[in-house]
Amino acid sequence: MDVSLEVINKSFGSVRVLKDVSLKFPSRKFVTLLGPSGCGKTTLLRMIAGLETVDSGIIRFGEKVVNRLAPRDRNIAMVFQSYALYPQMSVGQNLAYGLRVRGTPKEARAAAVERVARILEIEHLLDRRPAQLSGGQRQRVALGRAMVRKPDIFLMDEPLSNLDARLRITMRAELRRFHLDLGATTVYVTHDQLEAMTMSDHVAVMNGGIVQQFGSPAEVYGRPANLFVAGFIGSPPMNLIHGAVELENGAPTFASEHARVSLRHLANRVHAGQRVVLGARPQDLRLVPSAAEGNAHGRVWVVELVGSEKLVDVDLGDKRRLTVQVRADAPVLEDEAVHVGIDPHDVHVFDAETAQRVSGRESAVPPFPGSEPLGRREHFRPIATSWRD
Amino acid sequence: MSWEILWRHTGRGVIFVALCGLTFVVCFPLVWALSTSLKPKSEIFATPPTLVPKAPTFENYAALVTGRPQYFQSGGQQVDTGATPAQFFTRWFLNSLLVTLGSTVISIVVSTLAAYSLTRFRYWGRTFVPYFSLLGYMVPSIIFVFPLFLMMVRLELTDTLLSLVLGYVSITLPFCMWLMWAFMRSIPIEIEEAALVDGATRLQVFRDVVLPTALPGIIAAAIFAMIVSWNDYLFGRVFLNSLDNLTLTVGVMLFFEGTHVDWGLLMAACVLMTVPMASLFMGLQRHLVAGFGAGAVKG
Amino acid sequence: MATRFRRFTLSDQAVGVLFMVPFVLTALFFMVYPIVEAVRMAFFSYNPLRPDLSAFVGLSNFSYIFDDQLFWTSFWQATVWTGFSIVFQTLFGVAIALLLHQALPGIAIFRGLLLFPYIVPTVVIALIWRWIFNPEIGVVNYALLASGVISERIYWLSTPEMAMASTIMLNVWKYTPFVVICVLARLQSVPLELYDAAKVDGAGVIRRFADVTLPQLKEVLIVVVVFRTIWTFNKFEEIYLLTKGGPGTSTFNLAVYAFEQSIANLKLGVGAATGVIMMIMLSVGSVIYLRSAGFAREEGHG
Repeated sequence: MDVSLEVINKSFGSVRVLKDVSLKFPSRKFVTLLGPSGCGKTTLLRMIAGLETVDSGIIRFGEKVVNRLAPRDRNIAMVFQSYALYPQMSVGQNLAYGLRVRGTPKEARAAAVERVARILEIEHLLDRRPAQLSGGQRQRVALGRAMVRKPDIFLMDEPLSNLDARLRITMRAELRRFHLDLGATTVYVTHDQLEAMTMSDHVAVMNGGIVQQFGSPAEVYGRPANLFVAGFIGSPPMNLIHGAVELENGAPTFASEHARVSLRHLANRVHAGQRVVLGARPQDLRLVPSAAEGNAHGRVWVVELVGSEKLVDVDLGDKRRLTVQVRADAPVLEDEAVHVGIDPHDVHVFDAETAQRVSGRESAVPPFPGSEPLGRREHFRPIATSWRD
Repeated sequence: MSWEILWRHTGRGVIFVALCGLTFVVCFPLVWALSTSLKPKSEIFATPPTLVPKAPTFENYAALVTGRPQYFQSGGQQVDTGATPAQFFTRWFLNSLLVTLGSTVISIVVSTLAAYSLTRFRYWGRTFVPYFSLLGYMVPSIIFVFPLFLMMVRLELTDTLLSLVLGYVSITLPFCMWLMWAFMRSIPIEIEEAALVDGATRLQVFRDVVLPTALPGIIAAAIFAMIVSWNDYLFGRVFLNSLDNLTLTVGVMLFFEGTHVDWGLLMAACVLMTVPMASLFMGLQRHLVAGFGAGAVKG
Repeated sequence: MATRFRRFTLSDQAVGVLFMVPFVLTALFFMVYPIVEAVRMAFFSYNPLRPDLSAFVGLSNFSYIFDDQLFWTSFWQATVWTGFSIVFQTLFGVAIALLLHQALPGIAIFRGLLLFPYIVPTVVIALIWRWIFNPEIGVVNYALLASGVISERIYWLSTPEMAMASTIMLNVWKYTPFVVICVLARLQSVPLELYDAAKVDGAGVIRRFADVTLPQLKEVLIVVVVFRTIWTFNKFEEIYLLTKGGPGTSTFNLAVYAFEQSIANLKLGVGAATGVIMMIMLSVGSVIYLRSAGFAREEGHG
């Protein structure tokens, strides 16, 4: 069952929370709404669930318009951030509740509960109350509640944020697996870009009530459509340098106080004098031995060892810094003078005024993606060790 | 500094003794009443008065429960006091019970439903109503009594238990409303949303999810309403006339109006009047904490 | 949130409205109406035994009241009664709360017992009071005489001063637990680190009480005092059941005055007018309460 959101608008009082949002989630795919607090992602999710009204716009499940349908008539299931288990009922009763209110006979209910409990390995908890369970167990009960009813669409509102870090990591994989087994269209809300990248088929990056970009994880990582997406996705975040385009021997070059990078390959996209922002991920920067090879120069400010890599903060002067990722065994010392090498083909260029991407053909939001192929196989680094920890 | 050291060693003991003394002073009236009620007539007026009866007897309680007419000593002779109020005691007890239960049930049901509506739906007056109720609570009952009495006159309900039930609703509903509203507000709405998504209708959500979770608040409000109704004197005094229909509080005061006060009987009546509410309170105390905690701290 | 209207299920909005209806009806008839009627009656003369004679009299009920010496006496007595009651309730309340705020074993029992007076019917305690404070056969006089504290019987309820004292005592007995609950609740939410910091800084027991405990209690005490004052001023049963306002009229307060005017003098209009005056004073008190409660809330409490 695919979900279409057509020109959705929503305001709370005088605050516009969602502005002309249009998205299409393909059937049986895992889609994440990603963004900082207040960007409207939870509101959007609740509108899909039927817990908030739509000011204007149409929500469709498949072909059917669902705007006016109550949650109970939408055949959806939802996992809340706090799991929202019924405190006075046992786990078994929690699981069975949805079937009970639909009038499913007792034996069928018991059978369904047993099946789900077995799959999620919570059979031994069926008689306990939610208050007696751990966070991970509660979450599984919440998932079980959804599973029991075989929904068309499965909604999750930041289900991992209440878990401790270790549990979160294992649960990511489990949730992804859960989605595949369930076979429903899953819409997932989170502010954690790592969760979005690891679990989703598609990511909708949102900010200020507007969809900034909608694409596969690879796309939002490798071809961010604007400055917001570029800065939001990726850990450590992308380096952003403000500067302008100059002509050097007739070829366009990015120039700022502290860095120069050739933009010859983007000649037809930029013009001289254009103010731009250059983006380069720490993983795409290198420390080079000689000044001639380097595009920027400075002094090592701090070195952080992150297990298999080192993150080197290079101070270029005037408090401008670049983060460079190098191998763990690379010999770098704090306060050392270094040169940073930036490969022109690895950079992302954004127009300073519009914040939009200059290189590449993707603009912010194709109206109804989903049927589009997942981007050309262009020259971008394979998703390496950057966001998997 | 030496005070500190002294305190550390003896402090607990001192406090304990102080608490015991305090408890004695506070509970003394009732203890003494109990003691008096168990004494035979001869011992009541004996000097020195004893705390523990030397010859305890249940005759006072028996008189009240069975409605046996009472006798008292007068010049060495037993004199029948005729239709003394003691004969009505069980009747009055029942009346009080009926009126208390009736008004409590009405107040609880009305306020719980209204509290749910106020906290889950959006319309004008959703904050006005609870604060208005709180104000209503602060209006002294003497102001309510006479207008309501006139209303009962018009409805020809004077001297009936129903009039009392309605009267008590007017003084218990405001605070119950306030309490239930404050309590409902603290119930997280996500549980209900989960139930709605699970497929329940509003009514099913109310029955299966909200009511069980609101139980502590309901219990607290019920205890409050029952205590107020059971203990009231004013409304009973104004609304009721015939001996048959009196509530305990009004009736027992009548014991006192007579020329000869049978203290033993009177104290027994006092004890019996206090026992229901006291045991209810003690039994449900822990629920009170939960209920009041979420609701009126300043109430 | 609208739903398709189906035969057996109600739409969402319908449920919301339906649930409010009982309350609205009940409140209108039994809360709004009486108060409105009470105000209206203040401008009529109304004899309950001769309702046909009731007539609009404008403000003459009020002028009757203001000319009546008994009214002013009642007012003054109410103030005295309230003042003393509140002072004692607060002092005892705080002291008891401090005592109860200990982690002694069995403290829960003490807490239960000390809250007892609040649930006892006023009738009961008034009657017991009359018994134990009976001048001839009451146990209090006996104990006081026997221990030599006094040399003559005290006529607890038969002299104006002692009657006032007795009613004050009853009021304090009955309502101090209320103060205890509120203060105790506040005490239990004072972070313990404050005391630790004070100890480290070198403060002794009394200093700690004065500088840590009392400021924390300030807000709740203000609220409690204002609330209790409003309540106590208008109390009826505590006085009437013990002394019937006597001896004579020496323990009359405004509520008793209103009652007597209505029942004894059959002047319901005057009683209602007294009620109106009481309500005005109540409003003044409420405004003070709201201000002080708002003040308490701003300070980060509750």
